[in-house]
Amino acid sequence: MNGAKIEKKALKLGYMPLSDCLPLLVAQEKGFFEQQGLKVELLQEVSWANIRDKVIVGHLDGAHMLAPMLLASSVGLGGIKKPLMTAFSLGLNGNALTVSNTMQAALVELNAQEFDQAITMKRLIEQRKSKKLPALVFATVYPYSCHNLQLRYWLASAGIDPDKDIDLVVLPPSQMVDHLKLQHIDGFLAGAPWNSVAILQGHGHCLLTALDIWGNAPEKVLGVTQEWAEKNQQTHHALIRALYQACAWLEDHAELALPLLEQHLSLNSPLIDQDCLIPAITGEYIFDHNQIQSKAPGMLVFNRFMANFPWLSHGQLICAQMKRWHWLPEDTDCDKLVAGCYRPDIYRQALTDVTMPVDDFHNEHLSMT
Amino acid sequence: MKPARVMLVDDTPTRSAILEQALLDQGLTVVCRLESAQSLIKNVEIHQPDIIIMDLESPDRDTLENMTVLNQHNPKPVIMFSEEGDSKIITQAIQAGVSAYIVDGLNPLRVKPILDVAIARFREYQALRKELKQTRDQLADRKIIDKAKGLLMKTKGLDEEQAYHAMRKMAMDQSKPLVEIAQNILSVMELLTL
Repeated sequence: MNGAKIEKKALKLGYMPLSDCLPLLVAQEKGFFEQQGLKVELLQEVSWANIRDKVIVGHLDGAHMLAPMLLASSVGLGGIKKPLMTAFSLGLNGNALTVSNTMQAALVELNAQEFDQAITMKRLIEQRKSKKLPALVFATVYPYSCHNLQLRYWLASAGIDPDKDIDLVVLPPSQMVDHLKLQHIDGFLAGAPWNSVAILQGHGHCLLTALDIWGNAPEKVLGVTQEWAEKNQQTHHALIRALYQACAWLEDHAELALPLLEQHLSLNSPLIDQDCLIPAITGEYIFDHNQIQSKAPGMLVFNRFMANFPWLSHGQLICAQMKRWHWLPEDTDCDKLVAGCYRPDIYRQALTDVTMPVDDFHNEHLSMT
Repeated sequence: MKPARVMLVDDTPTRSAILEQALLDQGLTVVCRLESAQSLIKNVEIHQPDIIIMDLESPDRDTLENMTVLNQHNPKPVIMFSEEGDSKIITQAIQAGVSAYIVDGLNPLRVKPILDVAIARFREYQALRKELKQTRDQLADRKIIDKAKGLLMKTKGLDEEQAYHAMRKMAMDQSKPLVEIAQNILSVMELLTL
């Protein structure tokens, strides 16, 4: 630990009950925050909007946050304009696209070999149009999320216009399974464990993991306001060290954290049990109710592949995609926006004994480009 | 000036009924009161509210936020309309558990009084809940103490006052609440009679 004095000892951090909040739970449970001289209170939130608002007004010091939310808030999209930033990525990947059993059957009927390709989805949409059937409804968890960007990216790769050819709605993750079961929605792109919940209960089929859309994609980050980071530099460093320690521990011991995760996720969701948490954590992924496991080893990455580094290229990818859908004006200066939201320099200062990449950029693995 | 059209989304019907009455008293129109956001989007389209007051602890906030993205005329989070220097009311709203969405045309001067009413009613409800819980706890405590007293009277042959004083003394000696002492007595007696 550094000798420098931390500015603020007692911290409140918010999180959403999802598998990728584990670094926060583990840092608390294993005393990593305490070892860094921090006294952290973890608060479970019910919406991303709450996370954003509470961080912005200072009710929370920081939170488990959707990476695109940093950019959205920094320019005032969908909320007050308040610059947010991250110097720590909580991990990579975790998302998947799950469709209803009805849609799965329709896709297989169209093309049994390539039922999981966007091009087959395009044919299904055209077929429904010619039969004058209502547009397919897809759900994601928040407008400014990688979930939404990944779904749009995948659909658009086959020439589907996500703003015209389908209906895109937002639902709380915990309601996805019910809406899929009741056929209010035809599919959803969400994070762990909600795909596994739907699949294990027999209400859906995982069409593909988001690994097939963006490999090693940005997902959740430790989000704080730029103002907070300025005022609490040493505290921020301590927080990053504790979370890094938790992520490194999780890389080798994720299974041991299952009871902890279950305990926190099942608080408000009776649907959650350990069985549905296992697939994303272990990478022994289950795509279908009747099928044996398939390997998806990078399904949820906590530490390897430099998963915690706040790559500028993550910010650039998000910025470019947000422009593509006209959420950001065409003339948005992505370099400038990302330089405020992504701070690898702080990550480098906080973690002095960790292997660092040479550059702050790397190639993002996008499919179908 | 037409009264502002308010929509309430709250899964606690008692609280939203109190708030509805308070808003009506202010001369506002409550166009719709939803307990769940099941049909939220449809109802926003049908009723075209100027302002939506929503329980902050409702997970359906994110669903509503998506509408903002889809259509510029849809209600936006009230937090967008607060100046950075004037986030006091927003902080108060968050503390009271209120979130609000307003359409662009609504004069910000008309927003504050509505938010004030919502914050006040949410707080009042919180206080009522707390009071009710305290009363319930007190009643439950009384029952336990009476039961322990009765047991002491029966087993030790004490009269009511002696039994009560014996427990009071134990509580003071061990600096523990009376109800805890009573609970201990009951547990011990239960063990002995098994």
